[in-house]
Amino acid sequence: MLVDFELIKRAQKGDSPAFNEIVLAYRKRTLGTIARLISRPEDVEDVAQEVFLRLYFSLDQLRTAEVFEPWLYRLTVNAAYDYLRKHRRRMESRMSDLSEQQVMLADAVAGGRVDHDARQRKQICETVDAMLSAVSEADRILLTLKEVEGLSLKELEAIYKINENALKVRLFRARQRVLKASADSGGQTSAKGAAKAEV
Amino acid sequence: MYWTNRGDENAALDAWLRVYRDACPEPEPSANFMPELWRRIEERQRSVFFLGRWARAFATAAAVLSLGMAAYLYIPHGHNSVFTFESYVEALAGHAQDSPDLPEQVVNEL
Repeated sequence: MLVDFELIKRAQKGDSPAFNEIVLAYRKRTLGTIARLISRPEDVEDVAQEVFLRLYFSLDQLRTAEVFEPWLYRLTVNAAYDYLRKHRRRMESRMSDLSEQQVMLADAVAGGRVDHDARQRKQICETVDAMLSAVSEADRILLTLKEVEGLSLKELEAIYKINENALKVRLFRARQRVLKASADSGGQTSAKGAAKAEV
Repeated sequence: MYWTNRGDENAALDAWLRVYRDACPEPEPSANFMPELWRRIEERQRSVFFLGRWARAFATAAAVLSLGMAAYLYIPHGHNSVFTFESYVEALAGHAQDSPDLPEQVVNEL
């Protein structure tokens, strides 16, 4: 926990400076999570403010300190999910639109041969965004929380309020759908690559 | 696309997701973040306050109207009242005298 429960209790009683402190403690982490969940830098701050707005109006429902972080994650996930539903962009960014450079980078990543210079980092972000854009908002969020944010199954259980087995099934299916989307668009990209190689 | 061997797919996906976190820059909050957040909180508070006042006013008006209607129904209003203290036969006789379509003999018998 980045803040102690006393601070949360003070915020629950309407202490604005205490709430400010909570926001300042969790702001950066929340912005990072949202950035990876929605991958639209221009809207990250807006969604983060929505998360803290929801936190402010629901803080009095919090009973124990242990559930604060999963709860904040849950608010973050819900706000990101609402945003993604409103701004569906799955058709905008497809795996088949990836450049040849990105395809080469993909091979490098798969082979573990990546030097993280700024341009490559940007390409990695774009490529993974494109991969995740090919599946549903729910799959994208779940995979991001588990594999990118590094949350444990226990933490995910607290956020999603479903048991571990159900989560494992969901995760497995989400992975399968990402892989399938990658494979479906891969035919075209491979073909482009092959044609270029022949020239 | 990237994976020729199906067995490598999961490992490659893991590799992608692993490098993704480090590759994407952590966004820095703007200087306007906190003021804008508080502006939104106050705006929401105002709308909740007005909604609450409107709901209370509506509930009060509904209660007053209900009481008025109840009073109107329970207070007798002469012949037009839905409630009457006459017996069934008296009421029928009164009604029959008002009705021109009944034969006079029937009316007199009543």
